[in-house]
Order: sequence, then structure tokens, then C-alpha cells
Amino acid sequence: MRQIDNHSGSDFRGPAIPRWAAGVSDGLWDGGCRQVVYVPDNPLSHILAAFERDHPLMRATLATREEEAVGIAAGLYLGGANPVLLMQSSGLGNTLNAVGSLLVAFQIPVVMVISMRGDPGEWNSAQVPMGRAVRPVLDALGVSHLSVDRDDEARDVVVSLAQLAFGTRLPVACLLPRRLTVPAGGGRS
Amino acid sequence: MTRFDAIDLTRRTLTDEPVVVNLGHAAYELFAAGDRPLNFYTWGSMGLTSSIALGLALARPDRRVVALDGDGSLLMNLGSLATIAACAPANLLVVVLDNGQYGTTGGQATPTAGDADLEAAARAMGVRQTATVHDGQQLDRALEASRTIPGPWVIVAKVDESAPTAKPPLDCVGIKNRFMAALG
Repeated sequence: MRQIDNHSGSDFRGPAIPRWAAGVSDGLWDGGCRQVVYVPDNPLSHILAAFERDHPLMRATLATREEEAVGIAAGLYLGGANPVLLMQSSGLGNTLNAVGSLLVAFQIPVVMVISMRGDPGEWNSAQVPMGRAVRPVLDALGVSHLSVDRDDEARDVVVSLAQLAFGTRLPVACLLPRRLTVPAGGGRS
Repeated sequence: MTRFDAIDLTRRTLTDEPVVVNLGHAAYELFAAGDRPLNFYTWGSMGLTSSIALGLALARPDRRVVALDGDGSLLMNLGSLATIAACAPANLLVVVLDNGQYGTTGGQATPTAGDADLEAAARAMGVRQTATVHDGQQLDRALEASRTIPGPWVIVAKVDESAPTAKPPLDCVGIKNRFMAALG
């Protein structure tokens, strides 16, 4: 049972969970993460559904904005948790000062799982500029990142990133490209 | 009541509570009033003091957690009040040191110098235990209530600006390591 009850799992009982989403969920659990803070989008809801099905002890907290989510995750770490942030790449733009002046400056590790907008498969031109900026911005802040490019590597990519984060006390990012998360020709955000 | 008075009065009521304190003058004055390992001094991330304290309160339901926030900072992150209300940690107290100005950056007025009301905002977002206090006696009573009635609590302390006399060490990692070791 989730201890933090501001998110109803009933939203996510639906179609089968894609293999990449189950892999991300397993990787976070196996990487020692028990606390997730999220601002939702469509691909990320598959990961939340995988937590419900496979790791029901994972505690999820909904934030109103991604920058706020960084603050909550930092507090969770100070309290002894290994926190995860789920956000869309557009939301990464809302977090930048907090990632720099809180996570990087204080060496607070968080695994940021970022579902991409504005990369190949995108249909909305407004999403492209921030999508293109994701990797350069993470590099500029000193945040290591890796993308999940195949269904079958999701768990291992996430476990390796969690090890890097919590072993070396640094935030890291796991990017989920649209080619992974959205069926070809799909247009959902 | 100056901001220093409010900080000093609040910290004198604490025993083993971790405190997350807002960057700038609030952090400087908490350090001057009484440094302790359980003070987490922020040096950036303006707006996130209440969010950090929320995460801490969720991770450590066994400990009462105190945030010392500012009006200009909380106005940057009003959504935090909604999240605090939704998560409803009984062990969280947010004290907003409301001086109606951006004290650290030169005293420019914030909207709470006019009609903006942060206690009303907290109530509107679903926080049930709230107070606005104007002097030390009222603050003392509100703090006492926050120790006996389960939270989350938001206490807005209307304060005058005061001049900090010291600063915590500019060592973010040292602050964090000392804090986490003391929290256990």
C-alpha cells in the first residue's frame, strides 16, 4: 500500500504495460528507490502503472511543478530515501536552478526519469526547442545522462544510473525517447 | 516583532526537530540566533524551502519538521501549499517570515505588502491548521498549538526586516553531511 495517498492508482488499470515501462520500474526498485515524485504525462503513466502492478510498496507523490518536485526529492534524500523524479522534458526546463543550486551544489542524488518531447516522432513544434536543449542543459549542469533506446535494456540502464547517483551522490538523468515510448505514428503527449 | 525575534522565538521552542531554512537573511539570522547540526541552511533554490521540508516530513514521519520560509520565496512556489495539503503530513510546520519585502536583495516590496494573504492562500489550498501572528505572544501561542494539534501547519508571522549579523559557512556539502549525520 502507498503511504502517501494523494495519487489514486485506479487511473492506471488499463491496457498492458509496455516492456520498457516495466523495465524502468524494475530498475528503479532494484536500484534501491522507494520514493517517487512526479508530474505526469502519458508515457510516465505506464511506469506508474508498473509500480502499481509490480512494486506496490513504491511511494508516489504528485507535485504541481517540476521545480517543486526537485525540492521534495531533496527533502526525501535528506530523510534517508533514494528518490526518483518522473517528468517530461518540458518540465526539466522548470527545474534548472533547483537542479544546480540544490542537487548539484549540495551533492544530493536523485534519479530523474525524463520522457522526451521534441525529439524524432514529435508533432508539436512548441515542444522542439526545449527538447533539443535537454542534453546540452544537462551537460552544462554536470548531470550525467543515458537514454533507453531498446525495450530490453531499460532495467539495466536504470540500475546503472541509480548506482552512479547514489554511489557518487550526484543527480543523474534517464532519457526516454519518443521512439521508445510512443508507437510509430502516435501523437499523444 | 522583527524577523530575528520570530526566528529566535521559534528556535527556542525546538528540541530535536530538523529545520529547513530559506536562503539569505532568514538563514543568516537562524545561524546567528543559534547554529546547530539539525539546521539545513539553503544557499540557493529560492522558493523550495517548504518543498524540501515536505519531502523530509514524508521520509521521516517519526520527526517533527520545521520550515522557516519567506513571503517572496513562498510566492514563487504556491503550488507547494496544495501539495502539502494533499499529502497532509501531520509532522510538518511551515513558518512564513512575512516582511512584505525581498529583504536579501535590497528591500523591494512583495505582493504581501499589499493585499496578498499567504494564510488565506494556504487555507484555499486545503491546509486546515493555519494562523497569522503579529507579535511574539501570538507567535508563541500559535507554535504551542502546532505542537499539540496535528499538522500540517502554516503560520504566517508578520515581521519587520532586521539586519543579519552573521552568515552560515558557504559549504553546501558540509551543511548537508552534518545535517544528515545529526538526523540519523
